[in-house]
Amino acid sequence: MNDMTRPDAIDPPYAHPGYRSTSLRAPKEELVRLAGAFDIAGPLVPQGFVKSGDNDLTIHGKSAPLGEKMVVAGRLLDEDGRPIRRSLVEIWQANASGRYDHPGDQHDAPLDPNFTGIGRTFTDDEGNYRFVTIKPGAYPWQNHKFAWRPQHIHFSLLGNAPVQRLITQMYFPGDPLLPIDPIFNSVPDEQARQRMVSTLDLETGIEGIALGYRFDIVLAGAKSTPLGT
Amino acid sequence: MPQRTPSQTVGPFFHEALRWKEPGKVAFASGGGERIVITGRMTDGSGQPVGDAMIETWQRLPAGDAPAADSGSGNPYGFGRLETGKDGSFRIETRMPEGAAPFLDVTIFARGLLKGLRTRVYLADEAKVRAEPMLKDLASSSRLATLLAQRAVKGEYRWDIRLQGDGETVFFAA
Repeated sequence: MNDMTRPDAIDPPYAHPGYRSTSLRAPKEELVRLAGAFDIAGPLVPQGFVKSGDNDLTIHGKSAPLGEKMVVAGRLLDEDGRPIRRSLVEIWQANASGRYDHPGDQHDAPLDPNFTGIGRTFTDDEGNYRFVTIKPGAYPWQNHKFAWRPQHIHFSLLGNAPVQRLITQMYFPGDPLLPIDPIFNSVPDEQARQRMVSTLDLETGIEGIALGYRFDIVLAGAKSTPLGT
Repeated sequence: MPQRTPSQTVGPFFHEALRWKEPGKVAFASGGGERIVITGRMTDGSGQPVGDAMIETWQRLPAGDAPAADSGSGNPYGFGRLETGKDGSFRIETRMPEGAAPFLDVTIFARGLLKGLRTRVYLADEAKVRAEPMLKDLASSSRLATLLAQRAVKGEYRWDIRLQGDGETVFFAA
Protein backbone atom coordinates (compact mmCIF):
# COMPACT_ATOMS: atom_id res chain seq x y z
CA MET A 1 0.00 0.00 0.00
CA ASN A 2 1.09 3.56 -0.39
CA ASP A 3 1.43 6.41 2.03
CA MET A 4 -1.85 7.99 1.01
CA THR A 5 -4.00 5.56 2.98
CA ARG A 6 -3.59 7.68 6.12
CA PRO A 7 -7.03 8.67 7.44
CA ASP A 8 -6.00 12.34 7.53
CA ALA A 9 -4.78 12.31 3.93
CA ILE A 10 -6.44 14.75 1.53
CA ASP A 11 -6.23 12.64 -1.61
CA PRO A 12 -7.74 9.17 -2.03
CA PRO A 13 -5.52 6.09 -1.89
CA TYR A 14 -4.83 4.47 -5.26
CA ALA A 15 -6.26 1.15 -4.11
CA HIS A 16 -9.88 1.59 -3.07
CA PRO A 17 -11.80 -1.71 -3.13
CA GLY A 18 -15.19 0.01 -3.37
CA TYR A 19 -14.15 1.40 -6.77
CA ARG A 20 -13.66 -1.74 -8.80
CA SER A 21 -11.51 -0.26 -11.56
CA THR A 22 -8.70 0.42 -9.07
CA SER A 23 -8.09 -3.32 -8.57
CA LEU A 24 -5.83 -3.86 -11.61
CA ARG A 25 -4.59 -0.27 -11.97
CA ALA A 26 -3.48 0.81 -8.49
CA PRO A 27 0.25 0.21 -8.01
CA LYS A 28 1.17 -2.43 -5.40
CA GLU A 29 4.72 -1.26 -4.78
CA GLU A 30 5.55 1.57 -2.39
CA LEU A 31 5.69 4.98 -3.98
CA VAL A 32 9.27 6.26 -4.18
CA ARG A 33 10.27 9.63 -2.78
CA LEU A 34 12.23 11.91 -5.06
CA ALA A 35 15.05 13.64 -3.20
CA GLY A 36 14.25 17.20 -4.22
CA ALA A 37 11.49 18.64 -6.33
CA PHE A 38 11.26 19.05 -10.07
CA ASP A 39 10.12 22.58 -9.74
CA ILE A 40 10.02 24.18 -13.15
CA ALA A 41 7.16 26.66 -13.45
CA GLY A 42 4.64 26.33 -16.20
CA PRO A 43 3.30 25.42 -18.60
CA LEU A 44 2.59 28.59 -20.52
CA VAL A 45 -0.71 28.33 -22.34
CA PRO A 46 -1.21 30.56 -25.40
CA GLN A 47 -3.97 33.16 -25.03
CA GLY A 48 -5.66 31.82 -28.15
CA PHE A 49 -6.06 28.43 -26.51
CA VAL A 50 -9.35 29.64 -25.04
CA LYS A 51 -11.87 31.17 -27.43
CA SER A 52 -14.60 33.61 -26.58
CA GLY A 53 -17.66 31.60 -25.52
CA ASP A 54 -15.68 28.52 -24.45
CA ASN A 55 -16.88 29.10 -20.88
CA ASP A 56 -20.56 29.06 -21.89
CA LEU A 57 -21.58 25.47 -22.65
CA THR A 58 -25.14 26.50 -23.53
CA ILE A 59 -24.55 28.56 -26.70
CA HIS A 60 -23.01 26.13 -29.17
CA GLY A 61 -26.10 24.43 -30.55
CA LYS A 62 -28.87 25.52 -32.90
CA SER A 63 -31.02 26.16 -29.84
CA ALA A 64 -30.67 26.00 -26.09
CA PRO A 65 -29.79 22.65 -24.48
CA LEU A 66 -32.37 20.89 -22.33
CA GLY A 67 -32.08 21.01 -18.56
CA GLU A 68 -31.65 23.33 -15.65
CA LYS A 69 -29.38 26.21 -16.60
CA MET A 70 -26.72 27.03 -14.02
CA VAL A 71 -23.61 29.09 -13.40
CA VAL A 72 -20.63 27.66 -11.58
CA ALA A 73 -18.06 30.18 -10.47
CA GLY A 74 -15.27 30.28 -7.95
CA ARG A 75 -11.66 31.08 -7.23
CA LEU A 76 -8.55 29.08 -7.91
CA LEU A 77 -6.15 29.47 -4.99
CA ASP A 78 -3.00 27.88 -3.63
CA GLU A 79 -2.64 26.61 -0.07
CA ASP A 80 -1.30 29.98 1.03
CA GLY A 81 -4.51 31.62 -0.16
CA ARG A 82 -2.85 33.28 -3.15
CA PRO A 83 -4.87 33.47 -6.38
CA ILE A 84 -3.67 31.32 -9.26
CA ARG A 85 -3.84 33.78 -12.11
CA ARG A 86 -4.44 33.26 -15.81
CA SER A 87 -4.42 29.50 -15.41
CA LEU A 88 -6.28 27.00 -17.58
CA VAL A 89 -9.50 25.41 -16.28
CA GLU A 90 -11.05 22.61 -18.37
CA ILE A 91 -14.41 21.01 -17.54
CA TRP A 92 -16.54 18.18 -18.88
CA GLN A 93 -19.85 16.69 -17.81
CA ALA A 94 -22.90 14.65 -18.69
CA ASN A 95 -25.96 16.37 -20.15
CA ALA A 96 -29.20 16.88 -18.22
CA SER A 97 -30.20 13.26 -18.92
CA GLY A 98 -26.98 11.86 -17.49
CA ARG A 99 -25.35 11.06 -20.84
CA TYR A 100 -21.87 12.07 -21.98
CA ASP A 101 -21.25 13.05 -25.57
CA HIS A 102 -18.51 10.39 -25.71
CA PRO A 103 -18.37 7.22 -27.83
CA GLY A 104 -17.68 5.13 -24.73
CA ASP A 105 -20.87 6.12 -22.93
CA GLN A 106 -23.39 3.30 -23.40
CA HIS A 107 -26.03 4.65 -21.00
CA ASP A 108 -29.45 4.45 -22.64
CA ALA A 109 -30.29 8.11 -22.12
CA PRO A 110 -30.63 10.63 -24.96
CA LEU A 111 -27.80 12.76 -26.28
CA ASP A 112 -28.64 16.46 -26.56
CA PRO A 113 -27.65 17.79 -30.00
CA ASN A 114 -27.22 21.22 -28.43
CA PHE A 115 -24.86 20.18 -25.65
CA THR A 116 -21.36 18.67 -25.74
CA GLY A 117 -20.65 19.22 -22.05
CA ILE A 118 -17.15 20.59 -22.69
CA GLY A 119 -15.78 23.96 -21.56
CA ARG A 120 -12.53 25.80 -20.91
CA THR A 121 -11.49 29.15 -19.53
CA PHE A 122 -8.60 31.02 -17.93
CA THR A 123 -8.75 32.36 -14.40
CA ASP A 124 -8.53 36.15 -14.21
CA ASP A 125 -6.01 38.22 -12.25
CA GLU A 126 -7.78 37.41 -8.98
CA GLY A 127 -8.02 33.69 -9.72
CA ASN A 128 -11.72 33.83 -10.60
CA TYR A 129 -13.34 31.55 -13.16
CA ARG A 130 -16.94 31.24 -14.33
CA PHE A 131 -18.88 28.78 -16.50
CA VAL A 132 -22.47 28.83 -17.72
CA THR A 133 -23.80 25.32 -18.21
CA ILE A 134 -26.63 22.85 -17.55
CA LYS A 135 -26.93 20.87 -14.34
CA PRO A 136 -25.65 17.39 -15.21
CA GLY A 137 -27.87 14.36 -14.60
CA ALA A 138 -26.99 11.41 -12.42
CA TYR A 139 -26.26 8.18 -14.32
CA PRO A 140 -25.86 4.47 -13.64
CA TRP A 141 -22.48 2.75 -13.91
CA GLN A 142 -21.25 -0.81 -13.80
CA ASN A 143 -19.30 -0.68 -10.54
CA HIS A 144 -21.84 -2.65 -8.51
CA LYS A 145 -25.55 -3.47 -8.54
CA PHE A 146 -27.77 -0.36 -8.70
CA ALA A 147 -24.69 1.87 -8.81
CA TRP A 148 -25.41 5.51 -9.74
CA ARG A 149 -22.92 8.37 -9.84
CA PRO A 150 -24.04 11.55 -8.07
CA GLN A 151 -24.40 14.61 -10.29
CA HIS A 152 -20.93 16.04 -10.92
CA ILE A 153 -18.79 18.21 -13.17
CA HIS A 154 -15.19 17.14 -13.90
CA PHE A 155 -12.54 19.84 -13.43
CA SER A 156 -8.97 19.77 -14.76
CA LEU A 157 -6.56 22.39 -13.44
CA LEU A 158 -3.06 22.91 -14.81
CA GLY A 159 -2.02 25.37 -12.11
CA ASN A 160 1.25 27.19 -12.60
CA ALA A 161 3.68 24.37 -11.77
CA PRO A 162 3.61 20.57 -12.08
CA VAL A 163 3.07 20.11 -8.35
CA GLN A 164 -0.25 21.97 -8.69
CA ARG A 165 -1.71 19.71 -11.38
CA LEU A 166 -5.15 18.49 -10.26
CA ILE A 167 -8.08 16.62 -11.74
CA THR A 168 -11.15 16.50 -9.51
CA GLN A 169 -14.94 16.41 -9.56
CA MET A 170 -17.40 19.03 -8.32
CA TYR A 171 -20.53 17.73 -6.61
CA PHE A 172 -23.84 19.37 -5.63
CA PRO A 173 -25.06 20.10 -2.12
CA GLY A 174 -27.63 17.73 -0.65
CA ASP A 175 -27.24 15.03 -3.31
CA PRO A 176 -28.59 11.81 -1.70
CA LEU A 177 -26.16 9.73 -3.79
CA LEU A 178 -23.08 11.29 -2.18
CA PRO A 179 -23.03 9.16 1.00
CA ILE A 180 -23.05 5.95 -1.07
CA ASP A 181 -20.73 6.92 -3.96
CA PRO A 182 -17.44 4.98 -3.83
CA ILE A 183 -15.52 7.63 -5.80
CA PHE A 184 -16.61 10.56 -3.62
CA ASN A 185 -16.00 8.46 -0.50
CA SER A 186 -12.54 7.37 -1.63
CA VAL A 187 -11.38 10.59 0.03
CA PRO A 188 -10.93 9.43 3.62
CA ASP A 189 -11.45 12.72 5.45
CA GLU A 190 -14.98 14.10 5.79
CA GLN A 191 -13.89 17.74 5.68
CA ALA A 192 -11.78 17.10 2.60
CA ARG A 193 -14.78 15.42 0.92
CA GLN A 194 -16.93 18.45 1.64
CA ARG A 195 -14.42 20.64 -0.20
CA MET A 196 -15.56 18.90 -3.41
CA VAL A 197 -19.18 19.92 -2.82
CA SER A 198 -20.27 23.24 -4.31
CA THR A 199 -22.44 25.74 -2.45
CA LEU A 200 -25.75 27.04 -3.72
CA ASP A 201 -25.35 30.80 -4.16
CA LEU A 202 -28.30 32.42 -5.90
CA GLU A 203 -26.47 35.66 -6.64
CA THR A 204 -23.78 33.76 -8.55
CA GLY A 205 -26.59 32.80 -10.92
CA ILE A 206 -28.42 34.94 -13.47
CA GLU A 207 -31.65 36.54 -12.24
CA GLY A 208 -34.63 34.73 -13.72
CA ILE A 209 -32.42 32.48 -15.88
CA ALA A 210 -29.84 30.35 -14.09
CA LEU A 211 -29.12 28.94 -10.64
CA GLY A 212 -25.72 29.75 -9.18
CA TYR A 213 -23.16 27.51 -7.48
CA ARG A 214 -19.83 28.50 -5.93
CA PHE A 215 -16.90 26.15 -6.14
CA ASP A 216 -13.48 27.33 -4.96
CA ILE A 217 -10.54 25.09 -5.80
CA VAL A 218 -7.31 24.97 -3.80
CA LEU A 219 -4.15 23.59 -5.38
CA ALA A 220 -0.86 22.67 -3.70
CA GLY A 221 1.51 25.55 -3.01
CA ALA A 222 4.28 26.03 -5.55
CA LYS A 223 7.62 27.63 -4.96
CA SER A 224 7.96 28.54 -8.61
CA THR A 225 6.81 31.87 -9.88
CA PRO A 226 4.82 31.48 -13.05
CA LEU A 227 6.82 31.91 -16.21
CA GLY A 228 6.19 35.17 -17.96
CA THR A 229 4.72 37.05 -15.00
CA MET B 1 -5.22 29.08 5.20
CA PRO B 2 -7.36 27.23 2.66
CA GLN B 3 -6.91 23.49 2.41
CA ARG B 4 -6.27 21.57 -0.75
CA THR B 5 -9.11 20.20 -2.88
CA PRO B 6 -8.85 16.39 -3.14
CA SER B 7 -8.13 14.53 -6.34
CA GLN B 8 -10.76 12.42 -8.11
CA THR B 9 -10.47 10.07 -11.07
CA VAL B 10 -10.50 11.50 -14.59
CA GLY B 11 -13.02 8.73 -15.37
CA PRO B 12 -13.69 7.17 -18.78
CA PHE B 13 -15.33 10.12 -20.57
CA PHE B 14 -12.65 12.85 -20.71
CA HIS B 15 -11.21 12.31 -24.17
CA GLU B 16 -13.16 14.86 -26.24
CA ALA B 17 -12.80 17.48 -23.51
CA LEU B 18 -9.08 17.15 -22.87
CA ARG B 19 -7.87 16.33 -26.38
CA TRP B 20 -5.53 18.98 -27.77
CA LYS B 21 -4.47 19.54 -31.34
CA GLU B 22 -1.68 17.19 -32.44
CA PRO B 23 -1.75 15.03 -29.28
CA GLY B 24 1.69 13.92 -28.13
CA LYS B 25 3.61 16.54 -30.09
CA VAL B 26 5.31 18.73 -27.52
CA ALA B 27 5.50 22.37 -28.64
CA PHE B 28 8.69 24.40 -28.34
CA ALA B 29 9.62 27.85 -29.53
CA SER B 30 12.70 26.91 -31.53
CA GLY B 31 14.31 23.89 -33.10
CA GLY B 32 16.84 23.44 -30.29
CA GLY B 33 17.68 19.99 -28.94
CA GLU B 34 17.62 16.64 -30.72
CA ARG B 35 14.18 15.63 -31.97
CA ILE B 36 13.14 12.43 -30.19
CA VAL B 37 10.23 10.01 -30.31
CA ILE B 38 9.26 7.77 -27.39
CA THR B 39 6.84 4.95 -28.06
CA GLY B 40 5.53 2.33 -25.69
CA ARG B 41 2.58 0.47 -24.29
CA MET B 42 0.71 0.75 -21.02
CA THR B 43 -0.57 -2.40 -19.32
CA ASP B 44 -2.46 -3.17 -16.10
CA GLY B 45 -1.99 -5.74 -13.35
CA SER B 46 -3.26 -8.56 -15.55
CA GLY B 47 -1.04 -7.57 -18.48
CA GLN B 48 -4.00 -6.19 -20.43
CA PRO B 49 -3.60 -2.93 -22.36
CA VAL B 50 -4.76 0.27 -20.69
CA GLY B 51 -6.59 1.75 -23.65
CA ASP B 52 -8.32 4.72 -22.07
CA ALA B 53 -5.55 6.63 -20.27
CA MET B 54 -4.16 10.13 -20.65
CA ILE B 55 -0.44 10.82 -20.37
CA GLU B 56 1.05 14.24 -19.70
CA THR B 57 4.73 15.17 -19.97
CA TRP B 58 6.76 18.05 -18.62
CA GLN B 59 10.49 18.56 -18.98
CA ARG B 60 13.49 20.81 -18.89
CA LEU B 61 13.89 22.90 -22.00
CA PRO B 62 15.84 21.65 -24.96
CA ALA B 63 19.24 23.30 -25.43
CA GLY B 64 18.84 26.85 -26.69
CA ASP B 65 15.09 27.10 -26.23
CA ALA B 66 13.36 29.75 -24.17
CA PRO B 67 9.80 29.67 -22.89
CA ALA B 68 7.36 31.50 -25.09
CA ALA B 69 3.73 32.27 -24.53
CA ASP B 70 2.98 31.13 -28.03
CA SER B 71 4.97 28.29 -29.53
CA GLY B 72 3.14 28.59 -32.84
CA SER B 73 1.33 25.27 -32.55
CA GLY B 74 -1.43 26.73 -30.39
CA ASN B 75 -0.64 24.23 -27.64
CA PRO B 76 0.84 24.95 -24.20
CA TYR B 77 4.60 25.40 -24.34
CA GLY B 78 6.75 22.40 -23.45
CA PHE B 79 3.84 20.37 -22.12
CA GLY B 80 2.72 17.15 -23.79
CA ARG B 81 -0.71 15.55 -23.56
CA LEU B 82 -1.76 12.35 -25.32
CA GLU B 83 -4.09 9.40 -25.05
CA THR B 84 -3.25 5.72 -25.12
CA GLY B 85 -4.69 3.79 -28.06
CA LYS B 86 -7.07 0.86 -27.58
CA ASP B 87 -4.02 -1.42 -27.54
CA GLY B 88 -2.39 0.64 -24.78
CA SER B 89 0.12 2.17 -27.17
CA PHE B 90 1.39 5.72 -26.92
CA ARG B 91 3.74 8.02 -28.80
CA ILE B 92 5.47 11.16 -27.53
CA GLU B 93 7.32 13.49 -29.93
CA THR B 94 9.51 16.04 -28.24
CA ARG B 95 13.03 17.47 -28.08
CA MET B 96 15.82 16.22 -25.87
CA PRO B 97 15.76 18.05 -22.53
CA GLU B 98 18.98 19.54 -21.23
CA GLY B 99 20.89 17.80 -18.44
CA ALA B 100 23.43 15.02 -17.86
CA ALA B 101 20.63 12.49 -17.39
CA PRO B 102 17.74 13.97 -19.38
CA PHE B 103 14.22 12.88 -18.51
CA LEU B 104 10.55 13.66 -18.98
CA ASP B 105 8.27 13.97 -15.98
CA VAL B 106 5.24 11.83 -16.79
CA THR B 107 1.80 11.86 -15.18
CA ILE B 108 -0.84 9.22 -15.95
CA PHE B 109 -4.57 9.77 -15.53
CA ALA B 110 -7.18 7.07 -16.15
CA ARG B 111 -10.37 5.47 -15.02
CA GLY B 112 -9.41 3.46 -11.94
CA LEU B 113 -6.75 5.97 -10.90
CA LEU B 114 -8.17 8.19 -8.16
CA LYS B 115 -5.11 10.38 -8.49
CA GLY B 116 -2.59 10.91 -11.27
CA LEU B 117 0.39 8.57 -11.14
CA ARG B 118 3.74 10.33 -11.43
CA THR B 119 6.75 8.68 -13.01
CA ARG B 120 9.70 9.57 -15.25
CA VAL B 121 11.30 8.34 -18.40
CA TYR B 122 15.07 8.76 -18.55
CA LEU B 123 16.84 9.12 -21.88
CA ALA B 124 20.34 8.30 -20.66
CA ASP B 125 22.63 5.38 -19.85
CA GLU B 126 21.84 3.44 -16.70
CA ALA B 127 25.07 4.50 -14.96
CA LYS B 128 24.19 8.17 -15.34
CA VAL B 129 20.66 7.62 -14.09
CA ARG B 130 21.89 5.66 -11.05
CA ALA B 131 24.09 8.63 -10.19
CA GLU B 132 21.12 11.04 -10.24
CA PRO B 133 20.92 12.71 -6.80
CA MET B 134 17.11 12.93 -7.00
CA LEU B 135 16.89 9.14 -7.42
CA LYS B 136 19.08 8.23 -4.46
CA ASP B 137 16.35 6.01 -2.94
CA LEU B 138 16.60 3.86 -6.08
CA ALA B 139 20.40 3.89 -6.49
CA SER B 140 20.79 0.16 -5.76
CA SER B 141 17.30 -0.96 -6.81
CA SER B 142 16.61 -3.24 -9.76
CA ARG B 143 13.34 -1.31 -10.22
CA LEU B 144 15.29 1.68 -11.53
CA ALA B 145 15.31 -0.10 -14.89
CA THR B 146 11.59 0.65 -15.27
CA LEU B 147 12.44 4.33 -15.70
CA LEU B 148 14.94 3.79 -18.53
CA ALA B 149 13.96 4.19 -22.15
CA GLN B 150 15.68 1.80 -24.56
CA ARG B 151 17.15 3.52 -27.57
CA ALA B 152 16.19 1.69 -30.75
CA VAL B 153 17.82 3.90 -33.38
CA LYS B 154 19.06 7.45 -33.12
CA GLY B 155 16.30 9.64 -31.75
CA GLU B 156 13.85 6.77 -31.21
CA TYR B 157 13.19 5.27 -27.81
CA ARG B 158 11.01 2.52 -26.39
CA TRP B 159 9.50 2.75 -22.92
CA ASP B 160 6.65 0.66 -21.52
CA ILE B 161 4.51 1.48 -18.49
CA ARG B 162 3.25 -1.26 -16.19
CA LEU B 163 0.74 0.05 -13.68
CA GLN B 164 0.79 -2.99 -11.40
CA GLY B 165 2.41 -6.37 -10.86
CA ASP B 166 5.55 -7.95 -12.35
CA GLY B 167 7.87 -5.26 -13.58
CA GLU B 168 5.67 -2.54 -12.08
CA THR B 169 6.91 0.90 -13.09
CA VAL B 170 8.35 3.07 -10.33
CA PHE B 171 5.85 5.73 -9.32
CA PHE B 172 6.70 8.72 -7.19
CA ALA B 173 5.01 10.16 -4.14
CA ALA B 174 3.66 13.45 -5.40
